Amino acid sequence: MSLFPSDFLTRVEYLSIISRRVFRGSLLAQRRTMQLGSGIEFSDHREYAAGDDFRYLDWNIYARHGDLLLKRFQEEQDLHVYLLLDCSRSMAFGDGRKFDLARQLIAAIAYIALADLDRISVMAFTDGVVGEFPLTRGKARILQLMSFLERMQTGGQETDVGAAVQGLLHRGSRRGMAVLVSDLFDPRGFQRGLDQLRHRRFDAHVLQLYRAEEADPGLLGDVELVDIENDSIRKVTVTERNLRSYRELFTAHQSSVREYCRNYGLGCTQAEASVPFDELILRMMRATQVQR
Amino acid sequence: MSFGVPTALWWSLLVIPVIALYILKVRLRRMPTSTTMFWNQIFDEKPPRSIWETLKHLLSLLAQLAILAFLVLSVADPYLPGQLKASRRIVVIVDNSASMRAIDVEPSRLAAAKQKAVALVDGLRFGDEMAVVLAGDHPTVALGMSGHAPTLKRTIEAIVPTDCPSSIQPAIDLGRRLIGTHPHGQLVVLTDGCSPGSEALLGQKDVSLDIIGTLAGNVGITQFQVRRSLIDPLGYEVLTAVSNASDGSVEGRLELELNDVTVDILPLKLAPGETWTRSLEKTSLEGGRLTAALTKMTSPAAQGSEATPFQDPLASDDRAYAILPPRKIQNVLLVTPGNLFLQKVFEANRLVNLTVVKELPTEWPPDTIIVLHRLVPQKLPPRDVLVIDPDGPSEAWQLGDLLENPIITQQDAASPLMTHLKLDNVTMPKARRLTFTDPPHILAGAVSGEPVYASFPRTSPFKGLVLPVSLDEGDLTFRTAFPIMVANALSWFGGSSGELQPAVATGAIVHLALEGVKPDGHDPLKLLSPNGATKPVILAPASEGDNKPPAATIGPLEEIGIWEVGEGDTDPKVVAATAVNLSNPLESDLRAPDSVREAVERPLHAAAWFTRPLWYYLAILVLSLATVEWFLFQRRWIR
Repeated sequence: MSLFPSDFLTRVEYLSIISRRVFRGSLLAQRRTMQLGSGIEFSDHREYAAGDDFRYLDWNIYARHGDLLLKRFQEEQDLHVYLLLDCSRSMAFGDGRKFDLARQLIAAIAYIALADLDRISVMAFTDGVVGEFPLTRGKARILQLMSFLERMQTGGQETDVGAAVQGLLHRGSRRGMAVLVSDLFDPRGFQRGLDQLRHRRFDAHVLQLYRAEEADPGLLGDVELVDIENDSIRKVTVTERNLRSYRELFTAHQSSVREYCRNYGLGCTQAEASVPFDELILRMMRATQVQR
Repeated sequence: MSFGVPTALWWSLLVIPVIALYILKVRLRRMPTSTTMFWNQIFDEKPPRSIWETLKHLLSLLAQLAILAFLVLSVADPYLPGQLKASRRIVVIVDNSASMRAIDVEPSRLAAAKQKAVALVDGLRFGDEMAVVLAGDHPTVALGMSGHAPTLKRTIEAIVPTDCPSSIQPAIDLGRRLIGTHPHGQLVVLTDGCSPGSEALLGQKDVSLDIIGTLAGNVGITQFQVRRSLIDPLGYEVLTAVSNASDGSVEGRLELELNDVTVDILPLKLAPGETWTRSLEKTSLEGGRLTAALTKMTSPAAQGSEATPFQDPLASDDRAYAILPPRKIQNVLLVTPGNLFLQKVFEANRLVNLTVVKELPTEWPPDTIIVLHRLVPQKLPPRDVLVIDPDGPSEAWQLGDLLENPIITQQDAASPLMTHLKLDNVTMPKARRLTFTDPPHILAGAVSGEPVYASFPRTSPFKGLVLPVSLDEGDLTFRTAFPIMVANALSWFGGSSGELQPAVATGAIVHLALEGVKPDGHDPLKLLSPNGATKPVILAPASEGDNKPPAATIGPLEEIGIWEVGEGDTDPKVVAATAVNLSNPLESDLRAPDSVREAVERPLHAAAWFTRPLWYYLAILVLSLATVEWFLFQRRWIR
């Protein structure tokens, strides 16, 4: 089955309309930066200081009250959306459905952003940045992006969210929105990367995907556990009690992600990999709306 | 240790595939996982595949090997030498006599005995053998030595009560023969103690007595016989005895019925231990089946209270049966020049249809006994013939000279012709010496050996008797012996005595004459028991020249009632019958002697533990180990 079926763009277009109609201004559409500058929309006044451009003096107020006040205008800028795609081998666990969903989500979010005249950039990472779709704008670029995503494959040694964010920041990226699509099986801790985004005032959103087999492996007896990310092997005897412990740890991991995002105002959407991507986008939008 | 099936040990070669499969099993399954970080958290607390983990695998292999070993051993049926040495041979003797039918023990004494026998079977240990012997009328081995408990139980359950007296001592003797020289032989007698010589059992060390039953009282008919009267041709005499084997007085009545018609009702009042005996005289020409029954039995009331029904625990002796033979009218042609005494002796017999002629007829009437007094043709008539004082020769004899005063010195007391006859000191003057063509059978003879009263051979089926004595000269006609002699002769000609067909006690074997049955070409003969069961009957072989009707030996007759021999497959025609009664005061007395009851030690039953063969416990071990191995395999018991 193709990663992007023929009706993919139709469904994404529909999502784009929905996002504008229902969540206008709340997510991506037509953001205005708080940077004041040479825009046309008046913002407020401030005291004149030596060196200011006389062209922005409000002569009417000076005429009436004799105060030298400088007019300030809000500068309108397009939003930069950075999409971070986890390409570690854990994303291909099982039948690869998780990785497919991740790429579909990246494509869908990118399309919505491009449709709103925002700029998007996609960065694929494992234990470092393994692929990059440079910052771009315009809906016409979506096909190139989809082609880029289709070419992406899982690999690397381990998931390292921190390394991915580090790579993003090293590129001198402007602040914007960062969407992380990953299973967050980062042995070093997912918080490390998200902390950097948060500190750099990125508007971050986490899309965590997992499979049912990961939540409840159903293993019993003597087994050799093979970590498909780093090929390490661990011989263990799995008992019912071990299984219970595993389920508890997995649930705790999921909770810790939710807790982290809620504490620091990050958007968070967790879903099993069998959920359709459009439903997941809507769920993400709702989560963002509630958060705002 | 020895093995019953040593070839089964070859199955131990299965150890090879077991180990091979075990080695294959320990190769762990490779299970890919997205991340091991959660598993690491779990197992970092405890090092996986530790020595204990390895040991668990070793335990698993050991359990499998043990399962195989025990399985092979159990199939090989091992046994220890000590087991054979300690094995016992037990003979259970179950008394199934009539008294065991008593219901003073619920549901009956025999049922209680069977329950105890089954308990003995449950107590058998491995290697023990048990035989079941029935002590009914004659000891019977119901099942020879066997260690198979289901077969033993089936045999015990199949034991049925009889109406026979018990035969405990013969059964014990039989049991001893079954045990042989086995060092651990044991005889267990399950009886109610109501048998002759039960006290003698106490002294036998290899016998364990288990007395069943209570001291219940019982009233029963202990004697019941009927016979034709010797004096009255139509009369019959009934001998009956009723015993009160209880500790209290009993009242009631004895009802007599002949062919279901009441002929008498006798009141009874019996003191404790009393036996009431009566001889009753009744009349009947036809005869039939006579039944005696105890009815309305009550225990007398104490002062001021009503009589209470007597609880009779044994029904077998409350009824008794007898068969009264019918009297047959016989046609007699008396050819005599004249003798009043001779004529009257026949006329006085109410069973005789007499015709008297003075000369020899030209034709002889059919189905008639011919009595020739003096007048004798040369060729004797083709009928049964009684010749008295012949005056001439015949085909059977030549007439000799006179014997002046013969004295009878020899007499065939065994002959039915001489029943109730005693001719000693009877003077028979002027008897004729006869020279017989064929040797006669002398019934009464003179001191010289000359026959005075004899039967002589004739062409079958005719019989002949000769009394070469002058009735006019002697005093024979004045004596009571004469009518008896004539009556015996008529009965002999008739084919049976007709006087007595005794009721026999249960368990008897009876020789029955089958009147009307052709020796050759008869229909199948069956013995019909009172409860309707049938058995084939085979005629006894007849000796050559025997004119007697065919007979058969039937028995042992183990059931109270009327037993019949019928001819024909469907709706058989009854050709003979005999009555069977308990008629045993010991069986009717349900109270075991106190000495027996007090001295009895209950037989020790074997412990219920370790009563199974070794392979049984090995199989249980296999099952247990299989369960352990299942847990080991699943690892559900870890931590």
